[in-house]
Amino acid sequence: MIFVELFIAFCKIGFTSFGGMSMIPLINSEMMNHGWMTHSEVLDIVAIAEMTPGPLGINCATFAGIRTAGVAGALVANLGISMPTLTICALAAVFFEKFKDSKWLKGCMMGIRPATLGLISGALVVLGESNLIVENVFYWPAAVIAIAVGILMYKFKFSIPAAIVLAGVMGLVLA
Amino acid sequence: MQEKLKIAGIIFYSFMKIGCVTFGGGWGIVAQMQEEFVDKRHWITEEELMDYTSVGKSIPGTMIANVSYLFGYHMGGVICGIAALLGITFVPLVLLTFITLFYNNVKDNIYIMKALVGIRAAVLPIIGLAIWNLRKAAFKKRYGYAIALGSFLLYYFMNMQSFIIVIMGAVLGLLLTERSGEK
Repeated sequence: MIFVELFIAFCKIGFTSFGGMSMIPLINSEMMNHGWMTHSEVLDIVAIAEMTPGPLGINCATFAGIRTAGVAGALVANLGISMPTLTICALAAVFFEKFKDSKWLKGCMMGIRPATLGLISGALVVLGESNLIVENVFYWPAAVIAIAVGILMYKFKFSIPAAIVLAGVMGLVLA
Repeated sequence: MQEKLKIAGIIFYSFMKIGCVTFGGGWGIVAQMQEEFVDKRHWITEEELMDYTSVGKSIPGTMIANVSYLFGYHMGGVICGIAALLGITFVPLVLLTFITLFYNNVKDNIYIMKALVGIRAAVLPIIGLAIWNLRKAAFKKRYGYAIALGSFLLYYFMNMQSFIIVIMGAVLGLLLTERSGEK
C-alpha cells in the first residue's frame, strides 16, 4: 500500500540523516527506487528547498507525497520524516529537562555551547561563499544586500520578517 | 490544563510565523527564536537557546523540527512540543503543496528568482547577528574561545559531522570543568 511505503521510506530518510544536504543521497536513492521521482526532479526539489522556507526533508516529503498519493500522501510522508523528532528527540527532551541541573550535564554544556557557536560560524562561511561567489566571480548585488540588511537590523532594529521582505525587494531591483 | 493549551496555542502560532522565514538551511531559526522567545517574550535564556540548538542538531531528523520540539517540551511538556512541531511544519507543507501543483510556473519565473537572490543574501547578516548575540552565552569560560575555534576549523576544513564535534565539545567541557573544580 502506497501510504505505508511513503511512511517507511521517509522514516528511513529521517532516522539515518542529520538534516539538510546530508539527506540528498538518501532521498535520491529512495525516490528513484520507488519510481516516485526522476533524478532531475530530485535536483529540482533540492533547488526548491533552497529557495523556499522550510527544511529539505519536509519539502521533499510534501513533493513526493503529493505526486504519489495527493495531499493525504503528503501528510503521511511528513509524519514519517517527523518520526525521529517524535521518538529520539522526545526522549532527549525528557532526559535533558530532568538532568539539566546536574553537575555533569552543566559541565558538558560549557563545552557544547562554544562548539555549537563554532559550527554556526562554519555554516555561515559556507553559506557566504555560495551566495557571494557565483561561478568564481564575486557577486556584488548579494554583498550589497547582505551589508544593507545587516545595518538595518543592527542599527535600526529591523525585525527578521521585515528584513526578509525588504531583501526580496532589493533582490528584484539589484539582481 | 487551560493555561497549558493557551501556551500551546501561542507556541503553534509563533512557530508558524517562524516557519514563514526559515530560509538558508535551518540555522536562521536560531536568530528567529532569539528575537521571539529570548528578547521579546523572555521565555528562555540565550544559554537555553544554545542548548536546544546543539541537542537538536546532534540527533537524527530535521534540525529545526528537533529544536522546535525541545523548546516546546521545555515550555509545557509533550503537548507544547507537538504544537511547536506542527507549527514549524505547517507553512512549508502548505507552500510546497502549491509549488508542487504549479511547479513549472514557479521554476522558471525570473522575478521569483531575483527576489530569492535577495532573501538568500539576507540570511548572512541574520545568522551573523545571531552568532554575535549568542557570544556571551557561549563564552562563559576562557577555554570556550579555543573550543569554538577548534569546532569551526573541524567543520569548515575537515567537513566533520556536526554531532561528532558537539560530542567532542561535551567531553572537553566536562573535563575542563572538573579540573577547575567548580560547581
